[in-house]
Amino acid sequence: MTELSLYRHLDEMTPWDDRLQVLEVIGIADEAPEVKTFAFRSDAQTWFRYKPGQFVTLELPLGEEPLMRSYTLSSSPSRPFSVAVTVKAQPDSVGTRWMFENLRVGDHVKAYGPAGDFSHHDHPAAKYLFLSAGSGITPMMSMLRWFSDCAPWTDVAFVNCTRRPQDVIFRRELELLGNRMPGLSLDFLVEERSGNEKSFGHRGRIDDRLLPLLVADFPDREIFCCGPEPFMRSVRDMLETAGFDMAHYHEESFGRPAAMAVSPPFSDEPSADAQEAPTREAVAIRFAASDVEAQCLPGQTVLQAARGAGVRISAACEFGLCGTCKTRKLSGEVEMSHNGGILDEEIAEGYILCCCSRPLTPIEIEA
Amino acid sequence: MDARNEMPRLLGSRRQGFSLQQPFYIDPEFFRLDMELIWYRDWLFVGHDCEIARPGSYFTLQVGDYPIVVVRGRDGAIRALHNTCRHRGSRVCTAERGSSARLVCPYHQWTYDLDGSLIFARQMADGFCKADFGMKPIACESVAGYIFICLADEPADFAPFRTLMEPYFAPHDLAEAKVAHETTIIEKGNWKLVWENNRECYHCAANHPELCKTFPEAPTITGVPSVDSDPEMLEHWAHCERAGLPSRFRIDEAGQYRAVRAPLLRNAVSYTMSGKPAVHRNLSDAVSADRIGTLMLYHYPTTWNHVLVDHATTFRVLPISATETAVTTKWLVHKDAVEGVDYTVDELTHVWAMTNDEDRRIVEENAFGIKSPAYEPGPYSELHEGGVIQFVDWYAGFMERRLAEGAEPALRSVA
Repeated sequence: MTELSLYRHLDEMTPWDDRLQVLEVIGIADEAPEVKTFAFRSDAQTWFRYKPGQFVTLELPLGEEPLMRSYTLSSSPSRPFSVAVTVKAQPDSVGTRWMFENLRVGDHVKAYGPAGDFSHHDHPAAKYLFLSAGSGITPMMSMLRWFSDCAPWTDVAFVNCTRRPQDVIFRRELELLGNRMPGLSLDFLVEERSGNEKSFGHRGRIDDRLLPLLVADFPDREIFCCGPEPFMRSVRDMLETAGFDMAHYHEESFGRPAAMAVSPPFSDEPSADAQEAPTREAVAIRFAASDVEAQCLPGQTVLQAARGAGVRISAACEFGLCGTCKTRKLSGEVEMSHNGGILDEEIAEGYILCCCSRPLTPIEIEA
Repeated sequence: MDARNEMPRLLGSRRQGFSLQQPFYIDPEFFRLDMELIWYRDWLFVGHDCEIARPGSYFTLQVGDYPIVVVRGRDGAIRALHNTCRHRGSRVCTAERGSSARLVCPYHQWTYDLDGSLIFARQMADGFCKADFGMKPIACESVAGYIFICLADEPADFAPFRTLMEPYFAPHDLAEAKVAHETTIIEKGNWKLVWENNRECYHCAANHPELCKTFPEAPTITGVPSVDSDPEMLEHWAHCERAGLPSRFRIDEAGQYRAVRAPLLRNAVSYTMSGKPAVHRNLSDAVSADRIGTLMLYHYPTTWNHVLVDHATTFRVLPISATETAVTTKWLVHKDAVEGVDYTVDELTHVWAMTNDEDRRIVEENAFGIKSPAYEPGPYSELHEGGVIQFVDWYAGFMERRLAEGAEPALRSVA
């Protein structure tokens, strides 16, 4: 099959369906030390429909139980034939490290999503400030690529903070984007100078002194922030102190939430996969029969959370049709979008299908 | 012995009015022919509408080699399906009864909608056509709360039975009732012995002290001949029909089914030790006349029934082997009758639980004796066992006809 035959015109294709179609790796690129971009197409002839800034959850076949890892898409839906994630392997990462060592072009990976609402599509504004640290740059890149393709006149102040100049991801591409986006201002804030890469910009950490210097009109902007939790906390504090209206502040975290540190039943479960698993509004889940407590991450289903926590719930179709994952909910509220795999009376009796239920409140289930 | 040759020979030489030859009651090959020619071809009573009241509720049963599931669809329709997955044949529904939004094979989770269509099969090849692999349907009819199925490719017309039976049973509202209790007993005897025992009350006086408190032993009640000459029956039918309840004796031309309403002894209204109602709420809101006795239905080869004013007792016969038969009894009451308030299960079921067990012992002793090399067919009482004679004639007639259909022509024409 030639590359040409893999793609038809967009209006001849249906959107990708995560229940039916798997992703095929079509490209792997080095971005920075320990950072790679994996680009995927669908194994069926489909196009990708998502909002810039959303994430997908990859099912990584590490062992008997696949590992579920969420990664923000760095690609833009304005280029809908493929999607890409840009991931950084931390020293103690398991999932990302596995991807680095095992995924090759032509390999297939099951994925769920896209999900999440960390997107300028949900918060349209006249001017934006994209504030990121390290690999928190990926959702910003997705949004910026979209602006470049669809609304290049948009006013975006883009600030990325890293430890060393060579850690800046997408630096060359960002500089090129600046050529087509007259309203784009770029700033790279590094903590340390480096001998082998030139850096002319500012030095230090973002603070209440540097921010007004870099983006004088930040109070008028819709702010998107992504990075390690300490970074985002300091940004929040700084903005609150400055009297910023936090209704216009949005953040996406890639640090593993504290509650996930509860020792999981798998000995080789990662203690942390930095950058993986957005944590905004993680919700507590208790699996009563297994006596396991975990967190359900935004966009995750109860089934995905169970897998992450090492709780076995059998499932087949994973889109609310077959009912195999039917489980009794003991407390809390979920939002369920099933496909007929459960009876109304079963719902009334408190059963849920784990594969298509997302917690709205802390929940306890019988599993 | 080749049963296909031996059975027609024995049927041809049988003495009318006598019990059948030994192989009919014990031989596995004869049993196989019974299954093929009767059980896999005729309409079989399997259960009640009210047992699967809501969409998604189902029950399963086994008829010979066929696992079957009967399920109510989202559209409210009752369907019967071959309970074998179109993937590799596994049984799809394994529970005796249950409720499920979909029928999911436990082996690889092939998922069928309630109408049997395959809607999900994980990771099958491109070009796999789900429409080609639905669970196979079985002919299924529901009449007055009774569900019948037929395994034949071309089932006999169900309409004549519906026409006869429906007016008798519809007023009792069994489709809206509830099963208050259910038992299944295994009788170690051929299914025909179970039937022969049921079709007469010659044995009742000595064996059924509980039943005999209310059920008349008169041969005109159980039997077939001379019912119209019994003035008590005529009076009873007139009484019931004045109350709007069809009652007179009606029988199918071929003798496969019959309906009739019969009085109980001493104006008893129910099968209880006292003759008083077992349920303090009538089975149907539409039927409140007193002294309506029992509405009886048999339909060979699977069911006999009693419908009273306060409850109904229904029976399902399913052969297991040449020498074992399962008999399932269900006691149906008004769906709003409350156990412990309107009735107690003990009182409701006592008479027939005892009677069933007494019948089981009789049938088993009968089967035991028939195994003797000294057994030879004996004469039925024409007065008391007209019903048995009718049953055996029905059986012999159906088998002879169907054996002849399948038989090789004696001489082949040669071109």
